Amino acid sequence: MPDIDPRWAWERYRPNAEQPWNLQRAGHLLRRATFGPTWEQLQRAVNEGVDRTVDRLLAGEGDLRAFEAQTEPLARSIATANNGQQLPAWWLYRMLYSPHPLREKMTLCWHNHFATSNTKVQNARFMLGMYQTLYANALGRFDVMLQAISHDPAMMVWLDTFGSQRGQANENYARELMELFSLGIGNYTERDIREAARAFTGWELRGNEPFFNPAQHDDGEKTVLGQTGRFRSADIVRICLEQPACPRFIAGKLFRFLVSETITPTPELLAPLADDLRRNQFDIRRVVETILRSNLFHSPQAYRTRIKAPVDFVLTIVRGLEGRIGTLALATALESLGQNLFYPPSVKGWDGGPTWLNGQTLLFRQNLALALTSTTDNRFGRRTDPAQLLARHLPANPTDEQIVDFYLQLFLQADVPAASRQRLIEYLRQARQQRPPVYWTADDAANHRIRAVCHLVLTQPEFQLD
Amino acid sequence: MLTTNRRDFLKSSMVACGLTVPSFLSKTANALQVAGTPGARDTILVVVQLTGGNDGLNTVIPFTDEEYPRLRPTLRIARDQVRRLNDTLGLHPAMEGMAGLLQDNALCVVQGVGYPNPSQSHFRSMDIWQAASTADTLNEGWLGKALRSMNAPAFHIAAGNESAPLAYSGAPARVPSITSLDDFQLRTAGAGDADTRRQREIITGLAQPGGTGTPNPANLLDFVQRTAQNTYQSSQRLQEIGRNYTPRVPYPQTGLANRLRLVAQLINAELGARLFYVSIDGFDTHANQAASHGNLLGEVSGAITAFYRDLAARGHANRLLIMTFSEFGRRARENGSRGTDHGSGAPMFLVGGRVRAGVIGEHPSLTQLDAGNLRHHTDFRQVYAAILDQWLGVPSREVLGQAYEPVSILARR
Repeated sequence: MPDIDPRWAWERYRPNAEQPWNLQRAGHLLRRATFGPTWEQLQRAVNEGVDRTVDRLLAGEGDLRAFEAQTEPLARSIATANNGQQLPAWWLYRMLYSPHPLREKMTLCWHNHFATSNTKVQNARFMLGMYQTLYANALGRFDVMLQAISHDPAMMVWLDTFGSQRGQANENYARELMELFSLGIGNYTERDIREAARAFTGWELRGNEPFFNPAQHDDGEKTVLGQTGRFRSADIVRICLEQPACPRFIAGKLFRFLVSETITPTPELLAPLADDLRRNQFDIRRVVETILRSNLFHSPQAYRTRIKAPVDFVLTIVRGLEGRIGTLALATALESLGQNLFYPPSVKGWDGGPTWLNGQTLLFRQNLALALTSTTDNRFGRRTDPAQLLARHLPANPTDEQIVDFYLQLFLQADVPAASRQRLIEYLRQARQQRPPVYWTADDAANHRIRAVCHLVLTQPEFQLD
Repeated sequence: MLTTNRRDFLKSSMVACGLTVPSFLSKTANALQVAGTPGARDTILVVVQLTGGNDGLNTVIPFTDEEYPRLRPTLRIARDQVRRLNDTLGLHPAMEGMAGLLQDNALCVVQGVGYPNPSQSHFRSMDIWQAASTADTLNEGWLGKALRSMNAPAFHIAAGNESAPLAYSGAPARVPSITSLDDFQLRTAGAGDADTRRQREIITGLAQPGGTGTPNPANLLDFVQRTAQNTYQSSQRLQEIGRNYTPRVPYPQTGLANRLRLVAQLINAELGARLFYVSIDGFDTHANQAASHGNLLGEVSGAITAFYRDLAARGHANRLLIMTFSEFGRRARENGSRGTDHGSGAPMFLVGGRVRAGVIGEHPSLTQLDAGNLRHHTDFRQVYAAILDQWLGVPSREVLGQAYEPVSILARR
C-alpha cells in the first residue's frame, strides 16, 4: 500500500460524487463512534449529513444529567456490596442507553489503555472510581488523566504502587507507565524504570484514599529520561509527558481505535495528530474531532478495517433490534466472547484486531447472535425480537426482498455481494414452501422466517468487521 | 504407542465405509499410516505457558547456596521444605507431583534458559518466546511455522479471556481455540431438519474464502472467512468424537487440569493432532508472592502430573512430551513488597516417557548477576531445536532461521 498523504488524510472530508455521503458512510461513522445505530439514527445520519452527525456525536444529545442520576444509585450499591460481578453489567447499561455514546466509547478506549482488572484489585468501589476518572477525561486532557491515574487507588493496587518503600522500590507501575501508558517500548531504558520506581515510593492507601508517606519515600536524586532531580511521582509523569514519544504514542492509540487496525500508520501520518496533542495540552476531543471529520476516516482505506470488538458485536445487535434486555446476561455472554469489562486479561488490555476471533469465540459469536434473534433462549427472552422490529418499520406482509434488504441495510448497510443477498432471499422462498410444525400458526411461521434470516444476516463474515 | 489392532480397525472401517467415511476418520487413518512408515512419527507436543514471568529461583531452588537466603529474606524456601532433585537443587514444596515424575524418569529440568539482551517487557518477551525470534516485528510463531511441514491438526485449549497464541500464527490453516467441546458447535434454530440444513449451508457457505494459501490478517474479510471455514470444519469433526471421557487417574479441580484433561480427551480420540497449547496466568508476582506462587506451582505440578499419568496409563507415555516455559524469570533479590520484579534467565521443564530424566545445566550464579538478574547459559531456541529436530521431525533451521545446538533433553534409545 502506498503511503497515505498526511495532508490529505486529516483534511475535512467533503462529500462529492466519488466519495458521496451515503448509508455505508453513515454506518461506518456510527459504528466507530457509538455502539451501533438504530434504524432511525441511521436514516437521520444519512439525511442530516456528515457535519451535523459529527456535531451530535461530539456534543451528545438528550439529558445526560438525568441519565447519570439513573445509573448512580446502582453504582453506589455495587460499591457498597463490593459486587464485582455487576460492574460489567452496569457499564453495558450505560453503553446501551447513554445520551453521549461517543464519550462512553472513548472511556472504553482508555479502559483498554490503562487496562486494570478487578481480578486483582478486588474492590468494586476502586474500579468505579477509576471508571469515573476515565469517563471524566475521556474527551478531555490526557495529561490530566495520566496524572490522576498515577494515584488512582485501583491502579495503585493493580500495579503495586501502594506500599512501595524506599530502598526496595517496586518497579511494576514505573515500567507500565512508560511501556504501555505513555511512551511505548524502545523509548526508555531499564535504568529509567528503576530510577522512576524510586520516585513512586512512599505511596499508601489510607481509608480508601491515596496517601503520601514521606518517611517511606526515596527523596534522593534520580535521573530519568535525561533529567535529574529529587523527583516525586508527579515529576516522573510530567517528564514522560514531555517526551516527543508520548503524543506520538497516544495518537497511535487513537488511530488504531478509531481509524484502522490494519493500516500501520507512518510517523508522518501520525505527526499532525501528535503535534495537535502537544500544542493543545493533550486535548483529546480536538484530535477525535479531527479524525471523525477527516478524509482518511471516511475513505475506503479505513472502511471495515477493524474487527468488531465483542462489546461492539453484541451491542450493535441489541441496539439495532431496539431491545431492552438485562445486561447481566449480556455481560456473561461477553465474557465468553473474550471481553469482560473491568476484567481485561492483562495490563496491555485486549489486543483486538484478528486476536478477537479464534475458533471458539467465532462460534460463541454466531451462537449468541442466534440467542438474541431466535426468542427461544431464556437468557434474553423475546425482548430483542427481529419480527417485532420489522413490524414497526415495514408495512404488513413484507416481501422476501423487503425483509432481507431491511436487515442487510440495518446491520451491513446493504454492503454485501449480490450473491449473498440472493442466497438469503432464496432461503426465505424455500422456507415459505416447507411445512411448519403443526402447532404453528401462519404468523408463527412467518415470524420464524424473519428471525432466522436476521440471524443469517448476522452470521455474514462482513458483520464481524467494523 | 497405538496398537496394530486399532490401526487395522480404522483402516478396515474405512474400507467398509467406502466414500462415506467421516472426515476425521480418514484423517486419522492417514496419520496412522504415516506413523507406521519408517522415519515418520506420531509424537505429540503439549506446550504449557506460564504467563506473567515465573520466579525460576523459587521454582528450582539452589537450597545449599548461601547467597539464596540473603537474596530472599522473606520469600526463601527453607532447606527442609524443598522437594529434592539432587544434593543442591530442589523443587518448590508445592511441586510434589512433578518431583514424583522424576522418580519415574519422566521429568527433565533445563536450567538457566533465556536469550541475549533479554527484554523485561512481558509482552515483548512473550512474543520473542512464541515467535522464537528477536526481530523487531514478529508475526509468525514457531509452532505455526512447524505446522507447515507437519500436516497434522493442532489445538489451542483456551481459558476464558484468552486469545489464540502468536506461537500458532503462520500455520497453513488457522489453529482452532477451544474452551469446551459442548461450546464448540454451531447452533441453529431450524423449523425441522430441512430448515436446519439450509441454515447451516448458508452460514458455512458464506465462509468460503476466495483465495488460497495462509490467511492474511491485513485483509480482514479474508481472515474472517478462513477462520470461519476452519472453525466449522473442526467443529464438525469434533462433534463426532465421544462426549464422555473417563480419565485413568483423577485430575485436580483446577483450570489448568481441566484444560489438560480436554487435551487428553482429544489425544485419546485419535484425531491425529500433534500440537496442543495451554496457558496458566498469574505469575507476575510483584507483591506478596509467597502464597500465590505456591498455589500456581501446585496447579502446574498437579495438572501436568495427572495429565501425564492419565496418558501413560493409556500407553501414550512414549509419544508424549510436555514443555513448560515463561516469558522471563524474576529479579534475584526480592523487592520491598514481598514480591519480585521482572528478571531474565529461568528453568524449563520437560515431561514425557522419553525425556532424559534429571537436571541439565548449572543453576545460574547467584553472585554474578546482570543488573540483578540471573544470567542464562542456554538459549531457549536450543531447547526448541531439540524438540523440532528430534521429537517432531521438523527441520529446526526452517523454523528458527539458523542452526542452534540442541540441548539433549531426550533419552538415548
